Amino acid sequence: MSSQLFIQTVANAIAASGMLALIAVGLTLAFGVMQMANLAHGHFFMAGAYTVYALYALAGWPFWWAVAAAVAVGALLGLIVERGVFRPLQGDVVSGFIATAGLMFVFEVLVGEIWGWGLSRPIPSPYMRAFRFMGAAVAFQRVLVIPFAVVSIGGLMVFMRRFRLGRALRAVAQDPEAAALQGININRMTALALAIAGAYAGLAGGLMSTIYAVTPSLGGHIILPALIVVVVGGMGSIEGVTLAALIFGFVMTFVTTLVDGVTAVMVSVTVMALVLAIRPQGLMGRVVA
Amino acid sequence: MKRKRLQVLGVPIFLIAVLLIAFPAKAISGAAALTQDERVLLSHLPDQQIGKEYPQGETINVGFLAALSGPDAGWGLPGLTGNQIWIDTVNKTGGLLVGGKRYPLKMYTFDDEANASKALQGARQLVLEHDVKFISAIGGDPANATAPFLTKHKVIYASLVPTDMNPKRPYVVAGGDVTPQCNMFNALMAKMVLPSEKELGRPLKYALTTQDDIMSRQVGAWEIGAAIAMGFDIVYEKFFSVDTTDFAPIVTAMMATKPDVISLCEAWPEYQTLLWEQLYLQGYKGVVVQNYADWETNLTKIPPEYPAARHAIDSFPLMDDPWWGAYSWQASFTRLWNARYGPGAPEDVHRRMTGIDWDHVVWLIPWCIGAQVAGKDTPGKWPSNDAILAALRKMPSFPTILGPGHMSGKEMFGIQNMIEQPVPMNMFDLKAKDKRIVAHLNFEPWFKAIKPVVMKAVKDRGQYYTQRK
Repeated sequence: MSSQLFIQTVANAIAASGMLALIAVGLTLAFGVMQMANLAHGHFFMAGAYTVYALYALAGWPFWWAVAAAVAVGALLGLIVERGVFRPLQGDVVSGFIATAGLMFVFEVLVGEIWGWGLSRPIPSPYMRAFRFMGAAVAFQRVLVIPFAVVSIGGLMVFMRRFRLGRALRAVAQDPEAAALQGININRMTALALAIAGAYAGLAGGLMSTIYAVTPSLGGHIILPALIVVVVGGMGSIEGVTLAALIFGFVMTFVTTLVDGVTAVMVSVTVMALVLAIRPQGLMGRVVA
Repeated sequence: MKRKRLQVLGVPIFLIAVLLIAFPAKAISGAAALTQDERVLLSHLPDQQIGKEYPQGETINVGFLAALSGPDAGWGLPGLTGNQIWIDTVNKTGGLLVGGKRYPLKMYTFDDEANASKALQGARQLVLEHDVKFISAIGGDPANATAPFLTKHKVIYASLVPTDMNPKRPYVVAGGDVTPQCNMFNALMAKMVLPSEKELGRPLKYALTTQDDIMSRQVGAWEIGAAIAMGFDIVYEKFFSVDTTDFAPIVTAMMATKPDVISLCEAWPEYQTLLWEQLYLQGYKGVVVQNYADWETNLTKIPPEYPAARHAIDSFPLMDDPWWGAYSWQASFTRLWNARYGPGAPEDVHRRMTGIDWDHVVWLIPWCIGAQVAGKDTPGKWPSNDAILAALRKMPSFPTILGPGHMSGKEMFGIQNMIEQPVPMNMFDLKAKDKRIVAHLNFEPWFKAIKPVVMKAVKDRGQYYTQRK
């Protein structure tokens, strides 16, 4: 492998890891607090992408205003789903899983009926150029994801440690009964967790709307790698998700570059199986940040 | 008394006279309702006899079984428009005239999402519920899945790719969209725009990537064979998973081999946009070739100067390409399409016409031609698909959207079920900010010259029809 190829591949891997981390961090937070996997998380991402499509590509809003709206849409969807789906099914893991699976189809059909099925929605790139560093070239749009991922994840970790609401979220994640006895409103915390998770998914979807092909089935493509990263990182662990996103970002990128994309998928799944065989709880299987 | 009798008879005589005049007038006025462009469209039919009355036959159903959603939808969904324009134009004359009867046509659709099991489900529904006799499709895995069922029911499956053809599939037809011939011509066209090996002091290098599906493996083998025949060294030949969302490492890997030509081969419409974006961002400076380019979408990601500099060779021309001429069949099709599906039109599809809008009707029309010719031997009855195919094979030439065609395919695919027609090749034109035809090539003589090399490459990759299960 030449040095130029190595540098380019590392740059691609960092960008891919940042994207994976930003997508997965909201999912792990929600799982940690509610002890339920939200399969509709990928569709919050899709909703964020369509928000940018509607506001930026169609209505002509500035790109960053559209992304801000995508964050708000994601948060709102999180609140609605918590109130309408998770709260009534609190404690019933299987029903929650099935309900969110059903939500996936509801969102997909809704978006398909509003904006059409079939061809992907073309969203112009606001920055049609590459960021060049040491001979490597990465799409500027992808590079932007990295600081957002770093700030978002870092901000979430600070929030969970230093702020009362964040500590309350951690308490609910660790022991809901004890937290309730301490006067923490469980329903309010789960709503907050889903709102934050939805906001992160909306942000990821909005930022990456010009990177992925935006179709109603986009959420389905996103949820599987996100789940893998969450499971391998340790469900509920933000540091674990970050580490897992780095591992998978690098594995997928390097194997694709050196061998091919099909082998990359096989290797990723093998890595996942190995990690879980050695540490079933995941790399950093703890609930709190 | 005589006068009174005449007066009494006068009313019924007058009424009968009115009726005798009204029916032919109705038929004539029905034909007069056809626009000039519609008449041009129907000129491909050898025997439509517009304006003449014939008894009505039953409705003949045709199917559209292709990806109407998902990453492959770009090759399916737009094709509905071309088929519908043709069907509605034929129906405006009362129906397709076959064996002395006019048969209205009707299309039923099913979204198989390029998925084999869904395609089989769709085939069953179309045949068993709607009795379709002809199916427009994309092909690949769905072709494999549906072939046994459709063979049993003798329903024609018009794939986009002749690599789906096989002697054991007598009703799978293809060739309408000149794949893989256009893919093979990509190597020739690239060679023509590049400096020679002598000038460079080294062999020219060819890299190919596309998604890993049956169609792409087959078409890729033929294209690589042509590239080898043209003297290229093959430096990269890899397939990415159909679930790929990140194309950056793929392009990085290709560029590491320093190719003079990068082929995106059969990359699905969504994927080819993202691949083009990465080629631009990572600074690739060679020639790019592919089966089908969607410039309306691609130019939301890359500036037009970039594909212009890359030559951006593909096939699937636009029907509004000035190459065809203002009074051509293609120009008439374009006007009809814009009037119905264009901006502000009643069924506005919110996009420009693409090279796929005509891509499926390109076989539907010859099937109608074959039905008319075969129908002469079965007056009063719709001919079987065996008879239709036999009629087409007998014809030395029949009109197609891309020019005069004839049936071929025995040598390459073991069965004469492919339409062989002129192959239009495009390059990206900066002024038009779209593809434009630069050549209209005749495949058979060229293939004859390179056949041994191509066949070896195809067989080495296990993609010859005798090697496929």
